[in-house]
Amino acid sequence: MIINHPLLGPRDASEFVYLGDASLIDRPDWQHENSQQEFHNYLYLRDNPAGEHRELWFHEQGDRSWLVVTRNTLTHEISKVELARDVAKERGRDK
Amino acid sequence: MSDATLKARSPLDGYRQQFGTLEIVELNGLALVSVATPLDGEEELKKAMTTAHKAELPAVGSSTQSSVDDTRFLGLQPGQMFAMFAHDGDRAVEFVAKKLGETGYYTDQSDSWVILQLSGADVRTALERICAIDLQDSAFPVGAVTRTVMEHLGTIIMRTGHDTFVLLSARSSAKSFLHAVLTSVNNIQ
Repeated sequence: MIINHPLLGPRDASEFVYLGDASLIDRPDWQHENSQQEFHNYLYLRDNPAGEHRELWFHEQGDRSWLVVTRNTLTHEISKVELARDVAKERGRDK
Repeated sequence: MSDATLKARSPLDGYRQQFGTLEIVELNGLALVSVATPLDGEEELKKAMTTAHKAELPAVGSSTQSSVDDTRFLGLQPGQMFAMFAHDGDRAVEFVAKKLGETGYYTDQSDSWVILQLSGADVRTALERICAIDLQDSAFPVGAVTRTVMEHLGTIIMRTGHDTFVLLSARSSAKSFLHAVLTSVNNIQ
């Protein structure tokens, strides 16, 4: 599998390690009144779609960047690759 | 106190060998210093680089070279580069700090790496067996640099000339790395 890195171009998947669902970016607020339930959901509940899936990959044997890869779990086709930093900023993170 | 003096050895004892037109040389006498950019400090670092080295901050995947002192800057990842320059001894960080002041966070990496230079007309063919990176002119021009894996060993590859590549890998596995490179080279002899 080839991942088209936004900064470096096409790279072999063996240079990367996989973390999981990209929703891990949305860490709940620990001060929220319902935070215990939210952290339970954050840690243990995952969708398991047969189709398009957004997931976190780490370019460990490369530029050490975190990526959000949109991959079809049925065909392994990758339709989008973004820097996780940019995705987090889009979602309101400040750094 | 003992008055014994210790002499540093290079990772491959100054390896040098010729394979037809291809030459492999271990490069010594080079310092490597990691320069990490402080949060929101990119502009300051850029200014310091221009003033002290007359060099640009390298983009990820490329390198720049100072016109003042020949220091090379290797853009390896967002917010981090390596400075590479001729230096013997253990004062490499001081050399960088003298030039760039407090605009970056510095770590001396000099003795952690083995550096091999491969040159010759066949160099791309020799490397294509172990390097998954596209080394053609259009994808990897002179000055390009990147981290990758060769034979499961983390490697930095830089193109320093049309037919010259510099490979850096961990000093602790220097001999295994050389073996991997030689196996690849011998495949085309």
